[in-house]
Amino acid sequence: MGDLKKKTIGNLDSPKLPYDYSTRPYGTVPMDTTRPQFRWVSEVAYKNVHRIVSRGYDTTELVEQGYGIVDILFVDFQARIPLIEEEKMLNYIMILALEDGLSMPAALSRIVARSKTFLTQACGASILAFGHAYGAYSSFGNMLIESLAEVENEGKTMREVASAVVKEKLDDPALGVSSLMLKDPAAKRMFARADKLGVAGKYIKFTKELVAAAQEISPEPVDLDMLGATGACMMDLGFTPEATWAIIAITRSFGAGAHYIEEVERESYTQLGQELTSKDLYDGPEDQMVPPLADRDKFAIPAQTFTLEGWRKAFDERKLLQGSGFAIEEHVKDPSKKT
Amino acid sequence: MEREPLFNRKTAISYKTEEKTVMRGYNLSDLAEEGYSFYDALFILFQGRIPTSAEEKMLKYEMGEFMEHSMSPSAASAISVIAGRPNLPTAVAASIMTFGGVHGPGAAHGYMMNKYLERGRKEGKTIDEIAKTLVDEYLDAGEPVMGMGQPQHRDGDPRAEPTHLKQEELEIDGVYLKLQRAVEKHFHERRAREGRSFVGVNVVGAANTALMDIGFSPNAGWCIGSVSRGYSCAAHAIYNMKRGRAWAASRNEPMVQMLDLSLIKYIGPEDREVPSQEERQEYAQNQKESGEYEKWVI
Repeated sequence: MGDLKKKTIGNLDSPKLPYDYSTRPYGTVPMDTTRPQFRWVSEVAYKNVHRIVSRGYDTTELVEQGYGIVDILFVDFQARIPLIEEEKMLNYIMILALEDGLSMPAALSRIVARSKTFLTQACGASILAFGHAYGAYSSFGNMLIESLAEVENEGKTMREVASAVVKEKLDDPALGVSSLMLKDPAAKRMFARADKLGVAGKYIKFTKELVAAAQEISPEPVDLDMLGATGACMMDLGFTPEATWAIIAITRSFGAGAHYIEEVERESYTQLGQELTSKDLYDGPEDQMVPPLADRDKFAIPAQTFTLEGWRKAFDERKLLQGSGFAIEEHVKDPSKKT
Repeated sequence: MEREPLFNRKTAISYKTEEKTVMRGYNLSDLAEEGYSFYDALFILFQGRIPTSAEEKMLKYEMGEFMEHSMSPSAASAISVIAGRPNLPTAVAASIMTFGGVHGPGAAHGYMMNKYLERGRKEGKTIDEIAKTLVDEYLDAGEPVMGMGQPQHRDGDPRAEPTHLKQEELEIDGVYLKLQRAVEKHFHERRAREGRSFVGVNVVGAANTALMDIGFSPNAGWCIGSVSRGYSCAAHAIYNMKRGRAWAASRNEPMVQMLDLSLIKYIGPEDREVPSQEERQEYAQNQKESGEYEKWVI
C-alpha cells in the first residue's frame, strides 16, 4: 500500500486545497517506537491471574473481612476505608436513592424493555436520565465547591454567598431547594441523620444556608429537596460531584431493573410502526402537497444568507419551527484537565 | 409545578406522593431510619420481603466482590466513551450495557439452572444426575458450560470458590449450590478424562448461584451484578476524565495513547481506486459477479 496511482476525482485537484490530495499516502501508520506502547494505566484497580486489587486492597479479602459494596465505594472513589458512621450514612442515602416511583429512569427502563431487549440495556438507559436538571448532582456539587471557595477566599459569610447564589438560581433545578419536598420529611431527616452520625460538615452547613436564603426571597414555600440533601451529604462524605452523580444514578438503576422486569411481566412488547400519533397532538405546518421533483427549484427556498441582518432574520424565523433546534442555546463543556 | 409522571403504568413496585416514597409497602425513609441496609432494600425491591440476616450478609458479600474487576469489557467501555467527554452518565450506562451473553451472563446462568432443575424434577433424577446431564449436553454440543472458566483468571477466579464457601458458612446452600457444585464436579471429571486442562468456576457460576439460593430471579440477579459493576466503571471513567487526556490519541503524551494511529493494524482489502459514477454500474456488476467481496462480508 502507499503507492496507488489515481486519476483526479471531483474537487480533489483544486489549487484551493492546502495539499495535493492525489499524492497523499495510503497505508497505516508505522508503530511508534519512540514512546512506550499503550498500556492500561489506572490509579483505581488492577488484577492479575490470581487477584483483583482495588486501591491496594484485594477485593476478595475485603468481602471476607465483612466489607460490602457500600464500603467499597469509598475504596474505589476515595482510596480509603470509611468510618462506620460514614458507611451508615452512605447506606442510608442509597436506600433513599433506590426507588422513586414512575420517575424518568423507570420510564426509560420500561420503554427500552418494550422492545424486547436485554435487561442491561434498560438499566443503562435509566442512567441516561441523569443530567443537569434531573439528578443534577454534578451541577449542584460544583456549585457548592465554588460557593465555599468564595467563602474561604473572599472572606464572605456563608449566608452572603448563599443569598447571592439563590438570587441568581432560585428556579434552577440544580439548586437543591424547591417546593418538591414540602410534605415529605425524607430530605430533612437525611440531614438530621448526618448530624446524628457526626458526619455533617461544611457542605450540609452551606446547603442549610441556601435553604434559609431561598425561603427569604421565594414567593412560594420552598425547602430542602432530595437533590440538595443527597448531594450535600455525599460531599460531606468526601465524594466529588462527579462521583456523587454516578453513584446515585447507578443506585437508581437497580430500581430501574425491577421496572424492566415488571414491564416485561405485565405489559406487551411494541413493534416498529405500532404507535400512532394523533393529529390532535400535532401543531406543525398544515398538510401540504408534495411538489413534483421537476419543480423542486420553484418551491425550494435556499437557506443561505449573505448579510448579518439577513442571517439574524433567518435565524429568528427558524426558531419558530419547533424541533429545528434554533431555539436552544447550550454550552457543551469540556471537563478535562488535559485536552 | 406539573408532577404527573411522563409515563403511566399500574405498578406493584412503588408509589410516590407528596408525603413519602413507598416501595413494596415500606416507606423508604422509614427503612433507612430503622437501620436496614441497602442490601435489605434490594431484597424488598426484587422480592418484596425483608431477608434473614444470613441472606443479607450473602448479598453484601456478592455485591462487594463483583463491583470492581479492573480491566474488563465494562470498564473498557466506560473509558472509551468518556474519551469524547460526553456527560458522565453516558459512560456509566455504556459500561452496564456491555453485560450480555458472555460478559457476566447472570440471567443466562440462572435460566440454565432453572431449566435443568425442573427437568430433573420431572424426570425423577437426583441433582447429581441432572448435573451430569447438563455438563454432557453442553460439552457434547461444543458449547461452554455457563459459570465455568474466566479468560483472565486462568487458574481459578479469585472470587468464585470463596463465594461458595461463604454460602456454606452462612448455611444458605440450597438447591442451586448443590446443582452448581455437582456441575463443577462432572465438568472437572470429564475434562480430566479427556486430558484437558483445569478450568475453574467463575464469578457468575458462584455468585449467581448464591443469588438464586437467596431468592433472586435470573434477571434480578443479573441486574444486581451488572449494576454493581457500574460503580467501579464510573470510578474508571472519572479517573480518565480527570487525569487522562481527552480523545486518547495525543502525541504529546509520554506513552502511546489508546487511540494512537500507530495502533491500527489493517487486514482488509487492498487500497483501490473509487470508480467514477460513469464506471459505477459496470464496476459494481463485475464486483458482484466475481464474488471476491464475499469473504469480507461480516
